[in-house]
Amino acid sequence: MADTYEFSKEELEQIEKIKSKYPEVQSAVMPVLWLAQDKFGHVDSDVQKLVADTLGLPRAHVHGVATFYTQYYKEKMGKYVLDVCGSFSCQVCGAQEIIRHLEEKLGIKEGETTEDGMFSIREVECLGACGYAPMLQVTNDKYVNHLTKEKIDKLIEDLKAGKEPEFESMPVVYHQTSDS
Amino acid sequence: MPEIIIDNVRYEYEQPGKVLQFMLDQGLDLPYFCYHPSMSIPANCRQCLVKAGTPIVDRETGKPELDEDGNPKIRYFPKFMTACSLDMSDGMVVHTHVTSEEVRRAQADNLELILINHPLDCPICDQAGECPLQILTYKYGPEGSRFEHKKVHKPKRIQLGPRVVLDAERCINCTRCTRFTEEISKSNQLTIVARGDKNYPMTAPGETFDDPYSLNTVDICPVGALTSADFRFKARVWEMAQTPSIDITNGKGCNVDLWTRDNLVLRITPRYNKEINDHWMPDEGRMAYRQMNENRVSKPEIKLSASEHSKTSWNNALMTFVEQIEAHKPEEILVIGSPHAPVEDNFLLQQFFNKLGVSDTLFSPHITPGKGDDFLITDDEAPNTNGCRMLGLGEIDKKKLEAELKSDKYKMVVILTDDLFGRYEIEPSITEGKFTLTFATNYNATTKAADLIIPVTCSAEHTGSYVSVDGRIQRTLPAKETLYSNRRLNLEMSLSRLDHFGTKFDNWVSDRNRIDCIPAWEFLVRTAYEMNLKLGFESSREIMAKISDELPALNGVTYERMDEERGIQLDLKQIPAENVS
Ligand code: SF4
Ligand code: FES
Ligand code: FES
Repeated sequence: MADTYEFSKEELEQIEKIKSKYPEVQSAVMPVLWLAQDKFGHVDSDVQKLVADTLGLPRAHVHGVATFYTQYYKEKMGKYVLDVCGSFSCQVCGAQEIIRHLEEKLGIKEGETTEDGMFSIREVECLGACGYAPMLQVTNDKYVNHLTKEKIDKLIEDLKAGKEPEFESMPVVYHQTSDS
Repeated sequence: MPEIIIDNVRYEYEQPGKVLQFMLDQGLDLPYFCYHPSMSIPANCRQCLVKAGTPIVDRETGKPELDEDGNPKIRYFPKFMTACSLDMSDGMVVHTHVTSEEVRRAQADNLELILINHPLDCPICDQAGECPLQILTYKYGPEGSRFEHKKVHKPKRIQLGPRVVLDAERCINCTRCTRFTEEISKSNQLTIVARGDKNYPMTAPGETFDDPYSLNTVDICPVGALTSADFRFKARVWEMAQTPSIDITNGKGCNVDLWTRDNLVLRITPRYNKEINDHWMPDEGRMAYRQMNENRVSKPEIKLSASEHSKTSWNNALMTFVEQIEAHKPEEILVIGSPHAPVEDNFLLQQFFNKLGVSDTLFSPHITPGKGDDFLITDDEAPNTNGCRMLGLGEIDKKKLEAELKSDKYKMVVILTDDLFGRYEIEPSITEGKFTLTFATNYNATTKAADLIIPVTCSAEHTGSYVSVDGRIQRTLPAKETLYSNRRLNLEMSLSRLDHFGTKFDNWVSDRNRIDCIPAWEFLVRTAYEMNLKLGFESSREIMAKISDELPALNGVTYERMDEERGIQLDLKQIPAENVS
């Protein structure tokens, strides 16, 4: 029910601050949805309603934004959401096997959440890390690249132990431009 | 004057504007889906692509650079432009499919893309026959499709709201419907959900699309994704005849089209009138088609007992009416006109009884305060309140009406097409001992109370003028036949394909559903003839000519002008705000 979700006073202040950054309230929808997802773990229809009403925007509008992005969870998800890229580069580098392996390991199907609420598996579109294919993203955060079955096994163990993966992208190269 | 060159033809333009709208105004053809002249321009369907360029101007001289032949050199935009969102500029050159093979290809390819996941179920789709996607695909589309894989499936038969059904697979995501709820009706009930090939319009979870203007989205949806729950699967567009008329369910006078087949009105859709309703109308007005078809009084009826009427001949009805009039003194007759009836009928009623010596014709406005909005729904639930006021009918409210009906002064009551007993919840016994006659289109509480019922034509069957709350006079045209009219003889009636090619003996056209009724004015003219009163009129057109002679407020008003000018705005100052009687 809608009334079980509420923003605290501090959060409301934060939302005001977000709003003041933009000329239009509409622009605040995305950051406020993030804020809500951080707090509640998802933005299901009741949370969407809360966001819309808090911002004074039509509920349909917020619903449209929330459903546009896979990164907003429209239902309760596992603590760790494993978004495995299934687009072209990852696909040809074995994304399907990775997904099958994950499914077997966790005993759920793609799109489902484990009973203990720890893990969800989803196949998503290109995450822009084709160079490290196959790869996955953990709960809209860290990328885990160059996946192998062994790497998956280790990841699951680590996550179960509460240990989040490290950043492992290529070292960032700062290019020196001529005048700086 | 600035000019633009479209397909090698030079056009001058006065107002700045978009290329697509300008082309449409010139009667030129260009395929488009998402653009709608009354809404914002998202340019998302990409169907209106054109090749466009502007003259290269020499920076130093400020003059256009010329080629060897002395023509200005054109710098084309690097990509095709969407004509719907492209501003015209002086000297702009535009190539459409007419002069550019590339553009023709682009249009065909775009249609191929739009159709990738489209179900192509035209044979069972209501929109077929009036579907921009179907029409444009025939005209501009590819012969076939290179996409031969399985189509993406989306929800079907979703009841978005009480009146609108969604088939998401047919949707091309033009966002016309969502823009309508955002910009026109302002209910903000629709949005596009999801993304890519999975998206379609939806309400927020738990909300229903009950916008009082929701059915307009069905009209503007360029495919069959949104259909009317009520009209679904009732008729093919090409079977129906389309007749211009006006909305008679409120005082706004929205312009509409009545769609008829076999003398039944099957649907009502808005007709464009910039001065009144633009492209829109309230959902309520569309439901009026039912009262045009159903529960109609056909053939006069005479009361036998408190609960029973019996049909009687026109002759008998007329004679009874004459007898009753002759049996009563003029001051014993209570005459009540109607804001639901056209100006002509009210005028004739007034004239008829005037000639008999009845000094006052009254009427009771049908106004529900608070019902209206600032858009197309008015507090006034009748189409012709101002018409009655203009004729000088005395205005009475419920209390006054009851007092009059009860009063011993009167021995006879005449009511023109208005369900006074029903809408005011008046007990039928109130007129006990009086002879009550009502003109009526439909059975209702008033016909129940009446001693004599004269069936009359409704707005779908006659020509009649109505004056809107804003003082605009407009007329209706006959859309369905009565027992006494004939579609092919009456030149004001429109014909459908079936009417054109059918005969009475074909089993696919039906002659049924003709109501045995005549216009109220005609009954009065006949009675007048019987009584030797001078009140000869052949048509409502003649009556209007007479009224416009007599009433200064209507000077110069004719049917021709009403048709040509899409209604005539009258001087509101000449319409009394209220004639308290
Ligand atoms: S339902 Fe119709 S009007 Fe709405 S977005 Fe789809 S195609 Fe456009
Ligand atoms: S295809 Fe997987 S990250 Fe681009
Ligand atoms: S009409 Fe121009 S892009 Fe749709």
